[in-house]
Amino acid sequence: MNPSEKEINPKLRIQTWFAFLVFIMSIFVVRLFYVQIIKHDYYQKAALSDQLKQYELPAERGTIVAHSSGVLVPLVLNESLFTVYADPKFIVDVAQTSTKVSDILGGKPEDLRKLMEKDTRYSILAKKVSKEQKQKLEGLKLKGIGFRETVQRTYPQGQLASQLLGFVNDEGIGKYGIEQALNETLTGKPGKLKAITDAQGVPLASNQDNILVSPKNGSQLALTIDLGMQQQLEDILKQGLEAASSKSGGAVIIDPYSGAIKAMANYPTYNPSDFSKVTDLSVFSNAIVSSPMEIGSTMKPLTLAAALDQGVVNKDTTYFDPSVWVIGDSKVVNVEEDGGAATRSMKDILQLSLNTGATWLVMQMGGGEINEKARIAWHNYLVDHYQYGKETGIEQGYEAAGSVPSPTDGYGLNIKYANTGFGQGITATPLQLGLAISSVINGGVYYRPYLIEKYTEPNGLNKDTKPVVVRNNVVKKEVSDTIREYMIETYTKNFRAYNSQSSNVPRPEFNIGGKTGTAQEANPDGGYYTNIFNGTYVGFVGGDRPQYVISIRVNDPKIPGYAGAKAAAPIFLKLTNMLIDSYGVTPKMH
Amino acid sequence: MNSDRVDRRQPRQLESNQRRHKPDYALLMLSLSLLVVGLVVIYSISPGLAVQKNVSANYFVSKQFIAILLGVFSFLFTANVSLKFWQNIQNQLIVLAGISVVAVRLLGEKTNGAYRWIQVGGFSFQAVEFLKFALIIWLATFLYRRVLYKELGDSKKTLQPILVVLVIIGFTVAFLQSDLGSTVVLAAITISMSFVSGVPLKKIGMISAIGAIGVLLLVSSTPYRRQRFATFFNPQKDCLNEGYQACQALIAVGSGGLFGKGFAHDVQAYGYLPEAANDSIFAIMGEKFGFLGLIAVLSVFILFFSRLKNIMLRAPDVFTRLLVAGVLGWLSAQTMINIGAMIGLLPIKGITLPFLSYGGTSVVFVTAAVGLVFNISRYTLYDNGSATERGSHDNYSQRRGNGRTHHAYLSRRK
Repeated sequence: MNPSEKEINPKLRIQTWFAFLVFIMSIFVVRLFYVQIIKHDYYQKAALSDQLKQYELPAERGTIVAHSSGVLVPLVLNESLFTVYADPKFIVDVAQTSTKVSDILGGKPEDLRKLMEKDTRYSILAKKVSKEQKQKLEGLKLKGIGFRETVQRTYPQGQLASQLLGFVNDEGIGKYGIEQALNETLTGKPGKLKAITDAQGVPLASNQDNILVSPKNGSQLALTIDLGMQQQLEDILKQGLEAASSKSGGAVIIDPYSGAIKAMANYPTYNPSDFSKVTDLSVFSNAIVSSPMEIGSTMKPLTLAAALDQGVVNKDTTYFDPSVWVIGDSKVVNVEEDGGAATRSMKDILQLSLNTGATWLVMQMGGGEINEKARIAWHNYLVDHYQYGKETGIEQGYEAAGSVPSPTDGYGLNIKYANTGFGQGITATPLQLGLAISSVINGGVYYRPYLIEKYTEPNGLNKDTKPVVVRNNVVKKEVSDTIREYMIETYTKNFRAYNSQSSNVPRPEFNIGGKTGTAQEANPDGGYYTNIFNGTYVGFVGGDRPQYVISIRVNDPKIPGYAGAKAAAPIFLKLTNMLIDSYGVTPKMH
Repeated sequence: MNSDRVDRRQPRQLESNQRRHKPDYALLMLSLSLLVVGLVVIYSISPGLAVQKNVSANYFVSKQFIAILLGVFSFLFTANVSLKFWQNIQNQLIVLAGISVVAVRLLGEKTNGAYRWIQVGGFSFQAVEFLKFALIIWLATFLYRRVLYKELGDSKKTLQPILVVLVIIGFTVAFLQSDLGSTVVLAAITISMSFVSGVPLKKIGMISAIGAIGVLLLVSSTPYRRQRFATFFNPQKDCLNEGYQACQALIAVGSGGLFGKGFAHDVQAYGYLPEAANDSIFAIMGEKFGFLGLIAVLSVFILFFSRLKNIMLRAPDVFTRLLVAGVLGWLSAQTMINIGAMIGLLPIKGITLPFLSYGGTSVVFVTAAVGLVFNISRYTLYDNGSATERGSHDNYSQRRGNGRTHHAYLSRRK
């Protein structure tokens, strides 16, 4: 036995041990003082940087409604769709879960199984799942399956009016049409939530650091469009283009006394629900407002109106038309069968669509020849009266302004301006064409075109759109009356040419007038395509006063004859019949 | 083993020789207050945890409540069963514990890289908690006999068996079960009991050195432990990955400040700090109750430890003293390692904080250990060394009688 063992005092060891424990505890106290008191601010900041999260609360995007037989019906709505995801950590039975999910969502269970076995906490199983499917899945109470809401635009009317509506891309931004032009109004203002959250980002109960700013939802838009008219326009346009063997075209119906757009369409078009499947991006754009073309002969009523308004000619003026003008090195000739050199009246210029007549009118503005005075006077009418070369301000994305040549800068200005008299060398959109004609036949008021009749804010406040006058006295009232009368006569005289296959006769109880145009397609790189012609038609229908102005464009029709008369005018005819039959055109009293 | 013969030669029969007196109710109160505080904290964070684990809101608090009820039974059992009983079943107990530890390895679930429990009817059973308890009983009996035969200095009879036991434990718990934290606690129990039993310091130093080498070997053998150790030295740098828990624990404690964020205004339990109810509950309390609250908790712990120390000092014999030493070694080591990890002084080990942490097995065996000490506190002696240091329980006023009211003088007069 070791004698030293006897000296071991267990009590001393116990006391020593306890002293050691007290010592450790006091180290803990010092450490706690350092961490909790001295470094408190540092750790508080670190805590908040993790815990305090800022969220954007999305505002609900405004819906879009339009007229249909006197009531407003939805055109664009929002729908909640769901992204279904798996948190593989919580899935109890992958085989069973994947089978059950595939029963409801479709797809192969094996594929879902792979997704559920991923080494992640967030594995997307399906996107754009409907509310019904989501509720069915929820009913199964599967562990580890979660949902995330996404809001999607839906279109109860299918692809009707899709180009003027535009679409909302996956980032929630409006593209093309109204969605782009009024993106901010529709989007509203997102709210803000600053909150202490759990690790998953779910805000915890109220906390002094929490800040909440409620979102302001977007306004609802009520369109001036009548859906029935829009549908018929789209149908008639499509048939008309097919009849003319044209691949594309468009038409717009305008209220000439307010600038309200009643219908507007292009063909081909697309389904906004499936915008992501579109391969030819050109179908997105509303060519009526975004694709300028050479104005062509539809310019002639405007040229005559400008000459009459300036008083350089009058209603009864006649002149000798030589059938050709030599201006500088160039010649102005007529393309249509004009019957050669003869004495012509003002009405003949429109009825026979005389290029030489239109040039003669511009010459009169310069006192008998095309000079700077003529150019400036004519340019003034084009830009300041008819608003060519300027965006109209319609609520559409990618609106184009068209171009008007400068009257003072450049070479060959005289021949250029001789050509603008009959719409060559100057471009505009079909909408601009329709609006300019509207202002000339409605007594001389140019209204700003609009598509939104009423804005309804989320609080229920309505804001009605009032017609905006861009310019009064575009032409004098008497000039307006004359042009209207001449256009009616032009239409009546040329009716048979437009409608050789139809037994329809002009409807004598209404006033219908118009003017054809055949113009070269403008090359985006400058100049014109020499082999592509567009047919246009601008006209009106009404009783004692014009009720609807129609502007039509048919791109590159492949039928014999002049594009304006053979391709665009028949569409105009059908549209006027449609408007008279279905949309209450008042017959004339006088 | 010749243990049977030795048993018969025991010099004293505890219960017959010692006066039974009032037990240490303060010990009971301190344990109970810690259990209740733990339960209340778990109650408050239970809904937040439930969301992450996809269970009902009161899942955690109700399970902990049931565990505490079970703990009351285990306490009542160990507080009342004869202390000699443990000497009789010590071998069976450690064998059973050993089997259950192996069973966990074979049947158990792996959590955070370690095999720690097996499911028993909806509750998970952490075999290593049982092993801690069994080791105390076994070692107390073993060391008591070495003291009795004055063999403490004998390397063959004392040191070698202890080292063998430690190596077996290290192999099963640390290597097979991958539970290094518990191994360290088991080693702490062994070293504490050896220390109090009077094993020469040199030999304790050897035990500790061998244990430390073993730990270092184990740390370097597994990648997840290497990372834990590596990040310990710079937790802030790696807040997102391996140092995440250590970092979030410090954020919880530090953001609590002087007074805490308040009972219901803590945030870290909502998915930021892992194991919020179990290993990290001290940090959550730091966030809720602040510096002052944690000082109070530490005070309760040190008071509790001081009760154990006093009972140890006045233990009626070597066996009971060693039992208390084992319990103190266990609970203090676990408390220090857990708190040390939460405040960034030690690497994260994955060990629960006694009384406070969520976990049924831990609660049941900790209360069993308290019951054991509570039982011993009935037999404590005066400190025979000094007159000034009177034992608080072994005096006549507090001594327990036969249950009847004593009217000694009156009865004599009749």
